[in-house]
Amino acid sequence: MIQLFSQLKWFIGLVLMQVLILNQMHVNGYATPFLYIFFILKFHSRVSRNELMLWAFALGLIVDMFSNTPGMNAASATCLAFFRNTLLRMVTLRDMDEGFEPSVKTLGFSAFFRYSLLACSLFCTLFLMVDTFSFFNLPVLVLKIVSSLATTMLCVMCADAMGRKKS
Amino acid sequence: MRNLIDFFLKYNYWFLFILLEVISFALLFRFNNYQGSVFFTSSNAVIGSVYKLTNQVTGYFHLKGINDELVQENVELKLQLERMNQTLMTLTADSSGIERIKRDALGDYDIVKAKVINNSLTHADNYITLDKGEKDGVQSEMGVIDGNGVVGIVYQTSNHFSVVIPVLNSKSSISCKVKSSDYFGFLKWDGGSSRYATVKDMPRHSMFSLGDTIVTSGHSAVFPPGIPIGTVEDMTDSHDGLSYLLKVKLFTDFGRLNDVRVISRKGMEEQKTLEIEVKEKK
Repeated sequence: MIQLFSQLKWFIGLVLMQVLILNQMHVNGYATPFLYIFFILKFHSRVSRNELMLWAFALGLIVDMFSNTPGMNAASATCLAFFRNTLLRMVTLRDMDEGFEPSVKTLGFSAFFRYSLLACSLFCTLFLMVDTFSFFNLPVLVLKIVSSLATTMLCVMCADAMGRKKS
Repeated sequence: MRNLIDFFLKYNYWFLFILLEVISFALLFRFNNYQGSVFFTSSNAVIGSVYKLTNQVTGYFHLKGINDELVQENVELKLQLERMNQTLMTLTADSSGIERIKRDALGDYDIVKAKVINNSLTHADNYITLDKGEKDGVQSEMGVIDGNGVVGIVYQTSNHFSVVIPVLNSKSSISCKVKSSDYFGFLKWDGGSSRYATVKDMPRHSMFSLGDTIVTSGHSAVFPPGIPIGTVEDMTDSHDGLSYLLKVKLFTDFGRLNDVRVISRKGMEEQKTLEIEVKEKK
């Protein structure tokens, strides 16, 4: 129960942060950090795929509602949630039976960085492809993906570092 | 059967995943206009090519009808052309009338083409030398303008040359007015930038706004009225507080002055002598 409240707190906090601050940012007209996927990244490793997908869908849908992009964030976030456990397994040698919450503390910097990088690239690529909806201007799309990925990674690593200090 | 159920239970997350993605994309296509339009465009491209193919075949059967239509249209166009020509004739007659009116308006003025052969900008009193003199009909106190606006007033003349006091000279004083409201003052230059001059003695009750055009007033017998000078850039109170000072951005670029026109009004002499007579009587 307490955990659920904690989740909701993160959920609301990240959504507000995303829609009120980060969505207004367009670094050079290209980069938008998608910090809200930090919520999906941080989920406990033993959470079921279905539960994670539902959370991600709800999260994406709410962000979509705020930013007038129905379905775009929801689709990408659901997809990220679907692949998250696979990604996690790719970077970690630990037995999945003992649960942990992915972070620099539990995984080590290198593994967590690789995990976040994979997840963020997946999300940014999906989202911006859906957003652009064509490869008409491929260089711009690539530029958008790379710049958004960089800013998202920066935000994710900062958020993780802040969470570490608190605990 | 049991295996099938097991299979569904085992891979239930796939179904959820697909369901959620389908919902997302349904939302996307329904609400988002741009994606929607792309979707519809691509489907229309298929339909469009089908239509095109059909049209290519059936088009031949309509050729006779199309031919009739073209003949009809051709006749109509010929009639229209005839009517246009007639209208044009009357209009041409009119426009020559307009030309005549213009000519009459300028009839009071003599215009002499001249070239600037010497020019300065940086002194407090700048002078311009022109390559036309008395032999060409240039006399002192004639106005000088170029394509953009007022340049100055002829000061001294020799047989083949003349010296002009341009706006950029402390002696220069040109009667001017605000184009929109007809309030008038004097254009002076206080040194500084060659792009700006000052209008003095603008009455305090005068109406103007920044950006208004300043033109010659036509009061001084040198320039005809309405020759552009510049636009009002800024305004301040005069030192005695009785009038406004307007900072004017000049239309004429004195740094690039080349071809100018010297204009003189017929009857200028008459007006001048009359004014002198009045002064002497005082």
